[in-house]
Amino acid sequence: MAHYLQLSLTGLGAGAVVAVLAIGLVLTFRASNVVNLAHAAMGTYIAYVYYGLRNFNVASTQKGGNLVLPVFGVPGVVHLIDRPTVVTALAIALVVAALVGALVYLLVFRALRNAPPLARLVASLGLFLYLQAVMELRAHDIGAGAATLPLTSLLPNGVVRLGSVVVPTASFVLAGLAVTVAVVLGAVFRYTRFGLSTRAAAESEKGAILIGVSPDRVGLLNWIIASVLAGGAMIFVAGITSQLNPTQSSLLVVPALAAALLARLDSFAMATFAGLAIGVTQSGVATFQSQAAWLPSWLPNDGLRQALPVLLILVAITIRGAHLPTRASLVDSRLPVAPVPRRPWLWIPLLSGAAVVALYTLDAQWRLAIVVSVIAALIALSCVVVTGYVGQISLALYAFAGLAAFATAKLELAGVGFPWAPLVAVILTVVVGILFGLPAVRVRGMTLAVATIAAAVAIEQLVFNSPALNGLSGVPNPQLFGSNLGFLAPGAANFRPAFGVVAVVVLAASMLAVANLRRSPTGLRWLAVRSNERAAAAAGINVGSTKLSAFAASSLFAGLGGALLAYELPALSPQQFLVVGALAVLALTYLGGIATLSGALIAGFLASGGVLTRIQGGAAADTTTQYALSGILLILVAAFYPDGLSMAVRRAITRLHSVWLRGVRSRGAT
Amino acid sequence: MTALLEVTDLCVDYSGLRAVDGLSISLAHGTIMGLIGPNGAGKTTTIDALCGFVPQVRGSILLDGHPIDSLPPHMRARAGLVRTFQSIELFVDLSVEENLLVATSTSRWWSPFVDAVAPRRHVHRDDVNLALDTVGLRSLATARPSDLSHGQRRLVGVARALASRPKLVLLDEPAAGLDPAETASLGQMLRNLPELGIAVLLVDHDMSLVLDVCDRLTVVDFGQVIASGVPMDVREDPSVISAYLGGGS
Amino acid sequence: MNADSDEVTDRSIDATEPLLRLRGMSAGYGGVAVVHDLDLHVGAGEVVALLGANGAGKTTTLLTVSGLLQRLAGELTVLGVEPPMGGRFAREKVALALVRKGLAYVPEDRALFFGLSGREHLRLAARRGDGEAIELALEPFPALAAIIDRRAGLLSGGEQQMLAIARALATRPRLLLIDEMTLGLAPIIVEQLLPRVAATARSTGVGMLLVEQHVKAVLTVADRAYVMVQGRIATSGQASEMNADSQELAARYLGAIPDRHQAGPSVNLSESSSPEGTTPAERREDGGDASG
Repeated sequence: MAHYLQLSLTGLGAGAVVAVLAIGLVLTFRASNVVNLAHAAMGTYIAYVYYGLRNFNVASTQKGGNLVLPVFGVPGVVHLIDRPTVVTALAIALVVAALVGALVYLLVFRALRNAPPLARLVASLGLFLYLQAVMELRAHDIGAGAATLPLTSLLPNGVVRLGSVVVPTASFVLAGLAVTVAVVLGAVFRYTRFGLSTRAAAESEKGAILIGVSPDRVGLLNWIIASVLAGGAMIFVAGITSQLNPTQSSLLVVPALAAALLARLDSFAMATFAGLAIGVTQSGVATFQSQAAWLPSWLPNDGLRQALPVLLILVAITIRGAHLPTRASLVDSRLPVAPVPRRPWLWIPLLSGAAVVALYTLDAQWRLAIVVSVIAALIALSCVVVTGYVGQISLALYAFAGLAAFATAKLELAGVGFPWAPLVAVILTVVVGILFGLPAVRVRGMTLAVATIAAAVAIEQLVFNSPALNGLSGVPNPQLFGSNLGFLAPGAANFRPAFGVVAVVVLAASMLAVANLRRSPTGLRWLAVRSNERAAAAAGINVGSTKLSAFAASSLFAGLGGALLAYELPALSPQQFLVVGALAVLALTYLGGIATLSGALIAGFLASGGVLTRIQGGAAADTTTQYALSGILLILVAAFYPDGLSMAVRRAITRLHSVWLRGVRSRGAT
Repeated sequence: MTALLEVTDLCVDYSGLRAVDGLSISLAHGTIMGLIGPNGAGKTTTIDALCGFVPQVRGSILLDGHPIDSLPPHMRARAGLVRTFQSIELFVDLSVEENLLVATSTSRWWSPFVDAVAPRRHVHRDDVNLALDTVGLRSLATARPSDLSHGQRRLVGVARALASRPKLVLLDEPAAGLDPAETASLGQMLRNLPELGIAVLLVDHDMSLVLDVCDRLTVVDFGQVIASGVPMDVREDPSVISAYLGGGS
Repeated sequence: MNADSDEVTDRSIDATEPLLRLRGMSAGYGGVAVVHDLDLHVGAGEVVALLGANGAGKTTTLLTVSGLLQRLAGELTVLGVEPPMGGRFAREKVALALVRKGLAYVPEDRALFFGLSGREHLRLAARRGDGEAIELALEPFPALAAIIDRRAGLLSGGEQQMLAIARALATRPRLLLIDEMTLGLAPIIVEQLLPRVAATARSTGVGMLLVEQHVKAVLTVADRAYVMVQGRIATSGQASEMNADSQELAARYLGAIPDRHQAGPSVNLSESSSPEGTTPAERREDGGDASG
């Protein structure tokens, strides 16, 4: 027992970091209604700044004191000061943090103040991608590589003995810091004029202006505070874990999101408690898993530790939620316009025909690119249905696709033949999709978006990381009525067009089905629920089952995409279905137009390794730069074309059409 | 003949307070009843509770003799009890016509499969057109809610409630924000509803409208009925005058 | 952030200069004028009613005066300030500057903070350390004082309306614009509220511009009134005179809602006095996005 207690208390330190990050997430949400996916990434950059300054060795000639810059096209580092002390470095880093917070607000979220919530989420995703890419590049600039940075802990090294239990002092210090931050912020929000102004401006900007509160100023200050908190948290966490990896550190936002979720993105105290609890539980569960021999062997090593707290939180918020929003809740659920597709029976077959011709005329690399784009479009289509048409922001779709891919591969390798393996896998995916859609019946808006991230993490940690699924390869080619529909073949015959045709047909059928749904009574109900749940219920619509029908349809398309992936990829590995991939799906679909069929196609076109990559001449020269650029592109689209590129094109066409008509008329008149 | 709506001893808590406290109402077929009372008296909470939007602590609700207390909101709507909202709450993504169509559409669990392959037609177009004619907005069927004036949006809200051919419609301040002329035509429209077999429970502060169209009035304060009867009697009731009407009316 | 200084021309306030003056002002949405050529003024301690059917342009007028909407042409002087035209974030700056000058505006949608209690609304609206302002704001609303610690989102529609007005009063305004003050209020409150608010205005020298549907009630307490039809001021005059023949006023100007032939149900009350059809922009007026 004491052993468990010890390990649990050790987790207090990690929990405290999660708690501080969660507090920052709650802060930006309460101040700007932004779920800032880039919160930990911003903090990681600040940690880079700090360790860049402190990266020196007294014995060597290395002087440290380099300031890492987060901007492209300028030198990576600027030398500021020789051998700064801890205090100096910390002070500089936190000033930089304040500047970063201010810049992020002024350049990104200020323009998005009146944008739909989804646009802000996507912009934070863009920021996430950008910062990550920049840090990848800068890792070289501050040392021989990120992992070798001398990360000396800022905290005391001693231990505290409680009977037979020995706990590092640092854990208590960190936990104390987290609680202090929460208490101070809670008091500020409750009692001070600044806190009141923040809450007021978040509720109604117009109301705030009318009593002389500048929403701009309030937003700026809160972003500065949030950025400083994130920076502080990440400097400490890097000190504890002795490593600073852009991707892993930035993804610390996930447990922090889970903690913020339990706090309804609203309570600092609850966020802190949940963060600490996550740390402690994880520590305890890890010990449990390492000792419980009866646990199945397919369970990933770290699986329970990562997934159990998240699953518990999912269950908790689902139980706590309500079927309908209350009269008092002001839900801003604006989403891009969802037009009825124009003449789908004409252009979908035409495009499909063109794709088939291309498959049979172009070379192998092109065939691969087309298939990659088609599958990506299918997964994007699942996003259009659930998020675009029903307004349920789901970041678990890519995990569903992964589930279908692994299931298909596993079944095929177990000897289940072609139509049956993917069929069973897709049905399984739909069942899981409905299961993970259940929280959506009772929670909504950004809370749901965060819940789906949690769901995706749970699937990733419990299933994808399983040793039983690592490196699945040798999935046999699908055969139907004696003809080989496979994609992979030895030598020059590789990337066979027959499989491409299957993929194109699946996509075309799915798109026609979605086009049908959009103009049917089902589509109207979907859009009604998206618009206003209370009014929908009053109009006799079963809101819960309507949402679930959308989750089912969406996981069906994601599952189809995943099943195709099982045949398309030479080998499946967990790395192909990480949460970041899920974020990318949402981002690309949003770019294309999240509530339109053509948006899904554009997403497929833009997908990495797809047709666009091929047009650019194969593998992009520098993927890091590409990530950074796509991050900026996302922010720009969110700010200027919130309806997505497809609607921008559609409007342009309408305008051209009317100009052309006018031209025709005037010519007719003369 | 049983009453259309029989509410007995309804108690509802809202935000920690007893907002509706032992309310009993009986509403006959084909009548228009006014539910009036001071601000915060529990009128909207009563509508919320009747439609299943807030849980009731106690009491029973019978619609046409059948208990509906345990039904979720959408089932009550399908049973013929529909409402409008003070804040209108139209489906902004749908056209006026679609706002009404969606309220008339029926769905089974397999409907999405059918719609994906062969989309069903909207079978209740006649009801929708009738509802639009009733409120006089047929010509705006294809307009978007955002293109309408405040008064027109209110009327679309009422039309959406009427489109499903309900037995009883609960109107929450339908005249709020309407100008006198719009209010007068709203009253004209409401008076026609009993002929279509639709009874009305009307919550509004516009006394000229309420006195004009209602067959009976129920006055509530602090969640309790303080008076009820025909409008002529209620408007003379001293407790109603002191709590609600004031001297001017 | 420093909205008082730049962008806004500050004129020294002349005692004889009205608090609000519009000269030939036009305003609207997306560059399309909805109200045209308005001439209007409100002096200190004066209660002025702005009447008209829905869609006549009353809300647009108030929005423009508040700075949340930019005028398209003409002159506008609010509390000695001439709001400029143009600039992306300028509207917000102008509106903030006007609030600091002493303008208070109660919009039709109330723009309350649902998560804040009534008391928090008033604390935020009152100047720093001005506890008295809160008492003052609650004075016309005894009913509100009892529920002042509840979250605004939990208040009934009428209670929210009272809170919105109290919030405006707590800023100790010099010029108060109220859009549909009596919307959703019980008759007894309406009866008491208008005289009380008007009395407050007169005793403290606040100028008031009221948009109101209760024509008779507002004409009883107002000094002067303007009547808008189709985005233009059709008539104006002393409230007492207008009140004397309010029947005729209603029949001539208010009975004719612009798109009666569309909005009206089976009966047509007074099609004759509607001079012409309206554009969609005019119909959109009341739903116009004010905050954007």
